[in-house]
Amino acid sequence: MEKKLKIVGFLCNWCSYAGADLAGVSRFQYPADIRVIRVPCSGRVNPLFILKCFQEGADGVLVSGCHPGDCHYQEGNYYTRRRMMMLKDLFCFFGIDKRRFHISWVSASEGKKWADVVTAVVEDVGAALRGSEKQ
Amino acid sequence: MIGKIREAAKRMLDDGTVRLFLGYGKNGLGDTVPVFLKHKEDVEALYWDETCRYNLTRYLTDRDVICLEEGPVGVIVKGCDQKSLKVLISEKQVERDEIRIVGVVCSGMKDDNEEILSKCGTCDSWNPDETFCDIVIGQTVERKIEEDEYSDVEEVEALDPAQREKLWGKYFDRCLRCYACRNVCPLCYCKECILEQNDPEWVPPSASKENNFYFHIIRAYHLTGRCTDCGECERACPVGIPLRTINRKMIKAVKDGFDFVAGKDPEARSPLTRFRRDDREDFIT
Repeated sequence: MEKKLKIVGFLCNWCSYAGADLAGVSRFQYPADIRVIRVPCSGRVNPLFILKCFQEGADGVLVSGCHPGDCHYQEGNYYTRRRMMMLKDLFCFFGIDKRRFHISWVSASEGKKWADVVTAVVEDVGAALRGSEKQ
Repeated sequence: MIGKIREAAKRMLDDGTVRLFLGYGKNGLGDTVPVFLKHKEDVEALYWDETCRYNLTRYLTDRDVICLEEGPVGVIVKGCDQKSLKVLISEKQVERDEIRIVGVVCSGMKDDNEEILSKCGTCDSWNPDETFCDIVIGQTVERKIEEDEYSDVEEVEALDPAQREKLWGKYFDRCLRCYACRNVCPLCYCKECILEQNDPEWVPPSASKENNFYFHIIRAYHLTGRCTDCGECERACPVGIPLRTINRKMIKAVKDGFDFVAGKDPEARSPLTRFRRDDREDFIT
């Protein structure tokens, strides 16, 4: 049995959080390595939050919101997309493994997708950590 | 050149177009320092040579030094400083009619060893923008811009992640957290910087390799889409961290991602405060 990871998930209230809820209600299986923080919109996620997670020892961070065009506040996730694009670029430049930071779009009806996303993220973060331990 | 600068300053102070004039002067040791003039009799203190490296627009947002509400201020800008000024205007930190801009044609600044500064080698704005400045002093210089842009950034990008982490770790390990890079930056004008907040404490103030990593991420990220590569942070850094390489990485990322270059248009909004519906999505899981 592998060690459990600590992954922080920032989920928007209107899509991804409901999607995660649906995954639970539908009893889809996915790894329990993720801790969910509900935010009103993915646009609420200040990049400082993500830095703070890493600082406090999180192995990975996932930011998840509505699909572009479906934002409850019309355009919040478009801003998120730009911000996270730049942040991920900067992380890469500083040598932080890009597999530790993920952004995804999961709608309220995509319970299965949520389970798949978390599975993929956990795998990626695990791989990143194993990679860094080897060195 | 210096005669024309003094003349312009004298005229502005005399007829009351400005109540304060920011320029370059010399201190008792012969070093170039910023000078603040209030009286036309003092214009002899103004100076101009290739050691006038400082970006004077930094002072315009420092309300402890200058209160723009009290009346217009004149300021000398080089082509690079003018870009910072354009960003300040676009971010509504400075009103265009609160300042009188004296653009001075620059042919490259030199460091203490008489070597031309690295930022001047790839500079594309030796001639200040005549449509933006109130006065432009100096003969327009013709020059060919070198096309090697971003070779420093690409050099780092070519390394693998572990090597990059090691490289930056080596630099950040010696960071003293003196915040000179922030204090000298014309665009770091927040009255209360998040680095000084202690509730929440976004990054611990003590200098350690790990804390410094987070500090530098925050510094670079806050300048994303805004930095004009005036190079003041790198000049001010007492331990020689190549901060321009980090800034230029973000300038390149913004250029590639959003086709935007900061400091060209005083009306343009920073790309992170806007969006396009067809922004790229290849990084989404």
